[in-house]
Amino acid sequence: MMPETTDVETINRRRMNLALGIVVLIASIPILVTYFILMASSFTNQMITGSMVGQLTFTLRNWILFFEGKLTVASAAVYSMWDILRYILNTFIVAFGVMLVTTALATMAGYACSRMKFRGRKFLIQLLILLHAFPGVSLIIAVYALYIFSKGPIPSQWWTLYAFIYVIVARAALEIPMDIWIMKGFFDKVPWEVEWSALIDGASRIKVWKDIILPLVKPGIAAVAIFSFIAGWGALIYVLVFLPPTEKTLATYIAGLLAGGSLEVVHLPVVAAAGTLYLLPTLIFFSFVRRYMLQTSLSGIKG
Amino acid sequence: MVSIRLDKVTKRFGKVVAVNNVDLEIEDGKLYVLLGPSGGGKTTTLYLIAGIYKPTSGRIYFNEKDVTDLTPAERNVGLVFQNYALYPHMKVYDNIAFPLRLRKEPKSKIDSKVHEVAKFLRIENLLDRYPHQLSGGQQQRVALARALVKEPSVLLLDEPLSNLDALLRVYIRAELKRMQQDLGITSVYVTHDQSEALAIADKIVVINKGVIQQEGTPEQIYENPRNVFVATFIGNPPMNIVKGTVLEDGTIETTGSRLTPPPAVLEKIKRLKLKNILMAFRPENAVVSEHPIEGRFSPMGDLFEVEPLGRDAVVTVTVGEFVIKVVMPTREAMQLRIGSKVYVNIDPSTIKYFDPNTELNLEYIEA
Repeated sequence: MMPETTDVETINRRRMNLALGIVVLIASIPILVTYFILMASSFTNQMITGSMVGQLTFTLRNWILFFEGKLTVASAAVYSMWDILRYILNTFIVAFGVMLVTTALATMAGYACSRMKFRGRKFLIQLLILLHAFPGVSLIIAVYALYIFSKGPIPSQWWTLYAFIYVIVARAALEIPMDIWIMKGFFDKVPWEVEWSALIDGASRIKVWKDIILPLVKPGIAAVAIFSFIAGWGALIYVLVFLPPTEKTLATYIAGLLAGGSLEVVHLPVVAAAGTLYLLPTLIFFSFVRRYMLQTSLSGIKG
Repeated sequence: MVSIRLDKVTKRFGKVVAVNNVDLEIEDGKLYVLLGPSGGGKTTTLYLIAGIYKPTSGRIYFNEKDVTDLTPAERNVGLVFQNYALYPHMKVYDNIAFPLRLRKEPKSKIDSKVHEVAKFLRIENLLDRYPHQLSGGQQQRVALARALVKEPSVLLLDEPLSNLDALLRVYIRAELKRMQQDLGITSVYVTHDQSEALAIADKIVVINKGVIQQEGTPEQIYENPRNVFVATFIGNPPMNIVKGTVLEDGTIETTGSRLTPPPAVLEKIKRLKLKNILMAFRPENAVVSEHPIEGRFSPMGDLFEVEPLGRDAVVTVTVGEFVIKVVMPTREAMQLRIGSKVYVNIDPSTIKYFDPNTELNLEYIEA
């Protein structure tokens, strides 16, 4: 029988994809299993572990307990249902706040870095990467000092509001350098001719930016939005430090449950329910924004 | 309609002078081609006319109106970019309608104008598509439609054909020329392709190093180039250049052959006291043969190569230090033996003489 001949340079695409798929699957098993256990446990009477699979029963009790603010079946409510709802709301406020501030500023600054000539532009662009490398924790003392100083002149009844604004701005500030860099990359890909073309057609600068440039960098905006949303949603240290102890987010709430020895007290499936809820928006938001991230069309412009 | 005048226009980018003190008058309704090598300043000149760039000094006029400080929109120009610069997120219809919508024209009027121009350019069936669904030629038409729909006073085209494949290019350039004539719109067309320029221009403006080298009809540019640059830029292959020495008796000697120049040329040589001279001739104005032909100037050389291109062949001969290319019928060219001694028989009446110092054609030097 003749051996099957193939082109030397051609890798068998289908086999390649299959191999890649298997590798990715194996690599993600630990993560997938962990998430599965977490989510499944929130619907069972006890945490899923290997030995007691046979004794598991389906229940919504954990979710009910969680929303009632109870940590175990027997205990009295530590938090009220309103507390829980407020924590969820707080999480959204911080996440969307960070997302809005970051996306707006990064989009504008990215355009400036990509298109405008100004002194120190090159230095600034290099600085962005360096700034991103700074861990937020290392800045926390300075940021806290600034918080205390700036809080002074503000009447005390506004302090909670101010704390929220401060958390959002401070957390966004950590995200912005990298996101400016990302947006600059997207703006760089838009040819000057497209802008000129619109100017010649009679559009104002603002109109060109809004109707021509922004739609072309939509994938970049989507990417920056999702990164900053996730950053805001998961913000832990800044929220712990700046928000008053009564105002928690899901992240600090869950962290609180697990800290300070309370782990032995709480019913773990309740924590699993909190964890699952904590995951949900990120998943939904990601699947919503993902399609924008994948569509890059700069055709119709040959270069 | 509109004529364009550039008055001592200079454009600097930092230390680089892209356009240097250019005076140019573009007649109403004519198709002018700015021709030159890349980096020569032709696109910059076009962008200056469009208003994308502001001149560092000098003024630009449309008719008698000074437009130097007007925005591109206020100048009402249509510009087709080399990369088309269509708006990728808009359908073809919206691309074409975009300039009209900005003028806040009524919907029904926009609709009829878009369909009119689409019909004119035969892209009516594409109006519902996105740019990425179109071929290069179709995208080019859409870009043209978008430029024309606002009824611009001037149509500017920046290498509009350079992204198309060779066959389509020849086809579309004929359409472009026809369209320009039908509309009678003043047009400026930038290209680095000399054959494209010769094919479509009413007038060619050869630009190099930011300076206009020559301005004239395609015939003038081709037949009588003003300087060595134009001579060696236009034509495929371009003009052959041979350096000669002027002898006491008024003849010119090169690589062992002698030529008596016409009296008018001789007079200028004497007046300019030239010791050397550059002689240029077109490849089609010479014939390579094994024996010299009577009445021709026939330097001798070695046959280097014959490249048949169908009906004609390009014959390369090395004559002393010079490499000469001759275009002649393939059938005759194939009779010649590579490496053999041959004569390049040049029609003396077609030879152009250039001052080796200024590289100017003697005919353009005032007597």
